Amino acid sequence: MPFVVRRLLAVAPTVLVVATVAFFALQVVPGDIAEIMLGVDARREDLAQLRHELGLDRPLGLRYLEWLGHMARGDFGMSISYREPVMRLILARLPVTTSVAGGAMLLAIVVALPLGVIAARRPWSVVDLAVLAGSQAGLAVPAFWMGILLILGLAAALPIFPLQGYVAFGSNPIEWGRHLFLPALALGTERAAALVRLSRAATLDELHRDYVRTARSKGLVETYVVRRHVLRNALIPVLTVAGLQLGYLMGGAIVIEQVFGLPGLGRLLLHGIYSRDLLVVQGVVITIAIMFALLNLLVDLLYAVVDPRITYD
Amino acid sequence: MKSRTAHDLRTTRWAWKLVVLALFAALAVAGAPVSAQSPRDRFVLALSGGPDTLDPHGTAATLGFMVMKSLYDTLVEPDDEGKMVPALAESWSVSPDGITWTFKLRPGVRFHHGKILDAGDVKATLERILDPATRSPRRLQIGPIRSVEVVDPLTVRIVLEGRFSPVLAALAEGWGAILPADLIARKHDFGTKPVGTGPFTLGEWQRDSFVRLQRFDGYWIKGHPRLREVFIRFVPERAVKVAGVLSGEFDAVDTIDPDDLPRVRANPEVRVITQLTSLVNVVAVNNSRGPLRDVRVRRALWHAIDRKQVLKTAYGAESVPSSVFMDVTSPYWVDLGDPYPFDPERARRLLSEAGHGAGLTLDLVLPQPYQMHIEAGQLVQAMLAKVGITARPRVVEWAFWLSRVFGGGEYDLTVIGHTGKLDPEGRLTGWGDSTRNYIRYENQKVVDLIHAGRITSNPEHRKRIYAEALKIMTEDAMMVILGTTIRYVATGRTVREFRQVYAVDSYDFRKTTK
Repeated sequence: MPFVVRRLLAVAPTVLVVATVAFFALQVVPGDIAEIMLGVDARREDLAQLRHELGLDRPLGLRYLEWLGHMARGDFGMSISYREPVMRLILARLPVTTSVAGGAMLLAIVVALPLGVIAARRPWSVVDLAVLAGSQAGLAVPAFWMGILLILGLAAALPIFPLQGYVAFGSNPIEWGRHLFLPALALGTERAAALVRLSRAATLDELHRDYVRTARSKGLVETYVVRRHVLRNALIPVLTVAGLQLGYLMGGAIVIEQVFGLPGLGRLLLHGIYSRDLLVVQGVVITIAIMFALLNLLVDLLYAVVDPRITYD
Repeated sequence: MKSRTAHDLRTTRWAWKLVVLALFAALAVAGAPVSAQSPRDRFVLALSGGPDTLDPHGTAATLGFMVMKSLYDTLVEPDDEGKMVPALAESWSVSPDGITWTFKLRPGVRFHHGKILDAGDVKATLERILDPATRSPRRLQIGPIRSVEVVDPLTVRIVLEGRFSPVLAALAEGWGAILPADLIARKHDFGTKPVGTGPFTLGEWQRDSFVRLQRFDGYWIKGHPRLREVFIRFVPERAVKVAGVLSGEFDAVDTIDPDDLPRVRANPEVRVITQLTSLVNVVAVNNSRGPLRDVRVRRALWHAIDRKQVLKTAYGAESVPSSVFMDVTSPYWVDLGDPYPFDPERARRLLSEAGHGAGLTLDLVLPQPYQMHIEAGQLVQAMLAKVGITARPRVVEWAFWLSRVFGGGEYDLTVIGHTGKLDPEGRLTGWGDSTRNYIRYENQKVVDLIHAGRITSNPEHRKRIYAEALKIMTEDAMMVILGTTIRYVATGRTVREFRQVYAVDSYDFRKTTK
């Protein structure tokens, strides 16, 4: 069986386990959606009535099996609080979160890779020390704080970036970029700080290899040696970590979406948890699990692109 | 392998720099026309959160009704004093037995899709709320309606199962919004495509981000609304709200934290409005738990807590203390003075009379999303410590609080605010019957009085009945009542008539200008 198909098949059991854990974890947590909907005005009779109407009083096992059945048919169910199909809610938000996480990753790589290489070429120089210190600072600043700083320092002061919100790429690409830049920067800074150390270490490692000496002795320009030979090899560990970090960024996006008022998966998940809208939570968790699995697969495939020695049957 | 020269590399590097520069230039140009101030007829409000649905019969969420107030109308509506005034109904009358309510509708009112409002719409709307398939969380609160009859196109009659005076108030709440019968029959999705008779129509709604409301030119109040567009952005982050109102990007923000007040007040372009809420904030006491069953212990709590200080420190200096379980803005509020003044010495005496001279340990549960309740709880903890009561604070998530504290009664003390209702019935129903209130407070006399209030239509009689019930509740020291809190709202300097109908906790943009 081809590698890609094998890997894709392996995603299914992972997703099932994640979904089951999400389903039962939320059953153990106190509180249900009927209580949340009625709040402090709840009267006992209203609560019992609403629970019955929402089907919350049916046996847990039955609800689980029913839900699995729907899932198998690709139906995530109907959100109680939003009164809309969960699938529609997720599809509307997926582009927001992927844009933020992808943008953050892109910024992180664009910043971290060259800086790491520059720092590695002159280890312990002033430039290198500055990069290391910068990365230390970047790691120490949490993304949400960075976000607030960017809003107060940049968005509120200059009319270039908006304070809040999101515009779809399809309706206006420039506005899309304008709305995403600060969230992606806030989220990407910490990742860049981590990646810069990795790319520096990986480059340093490669720079001392024999093939580099050979390339230099062939009379190639140093920049070309670094770009063509060293970077390709240094990219492998960086790529691995970056791929795993994309999953982490999806988590970070939850916080950033809250700060920048972005209507993404993170806010949907948060709303789902707070309002105990189980189907929403399960839908989002499954979506994130699938994305995580697919990203890992993508990273594996990218190895082959970066390093021709790696092939998959 | 194609080899490259240093010259090639230099050119590509320049090309990159140009691309980056061009990108920034594009961003700057794109940003330029978006000046901080929006046009005079466009109003931007920053709200803490957004609606989950725009179907008025599908939710009980305050944030939802804050938006829906502009899309729909009700038969009657509260004025600034909480008195019922005509809206879609021009007039109404009730039969002497209090069972039959007749409403005369305003002629010529148009729905957003062009249909003219008639009695059939009211009938279809009420039947929709009462239909279990609608799953309205407010179905039981609309009252015991037996039938709704169309008398003529502009007259509708509501027949109740029994006397129920709060029916008028129930119809004025957000969930009493009138929908068009033709769309109800077609099972229209009001949740995402709202159609009502309200002053605005839905322009665009991006969930959890913003809602854009556009003026409905066929609105029944001539010349209203004044604004062409109301843009409500959902901003959960407090720092962003402050930054936005200071920079002029937001014309109004729903709440300003007391800590941010000095910065906001320092800006001459911004006005801070203090609004009394309809909340009653309390330190709730579980009347069924061990020592708290003793009224002397509960009274000792009142004496031990400096209620005024807690209220003003945690909830804002302009908050108004109260000793009864009714918001001070309600016509049903009564002034009982300060029946249990702050007096730690007396508290200690009462405690030792009750046999707890050696001290007492109580559990104090605080709801996590409400920073001010947590602050109040910390003050309460310190004050109780001075009279020998050890309060063990426990901060819990909101759903947990609703389930375990409010639903399960698993607590000794908790700090919370009770939202207001247009009719005292909404606030008081269930009090006195320990199986129906979360503080497990039992007093048959209170139950009887509240029932009497429910079936009495004369407002003056009702006031007397409720006053008596409130007095008994305070005499029983069923919980420590702090008072009604203030809310700080900030608007641009030129904003006028930014009206908040505190009784239903909604915004009314019909007369707003800026």
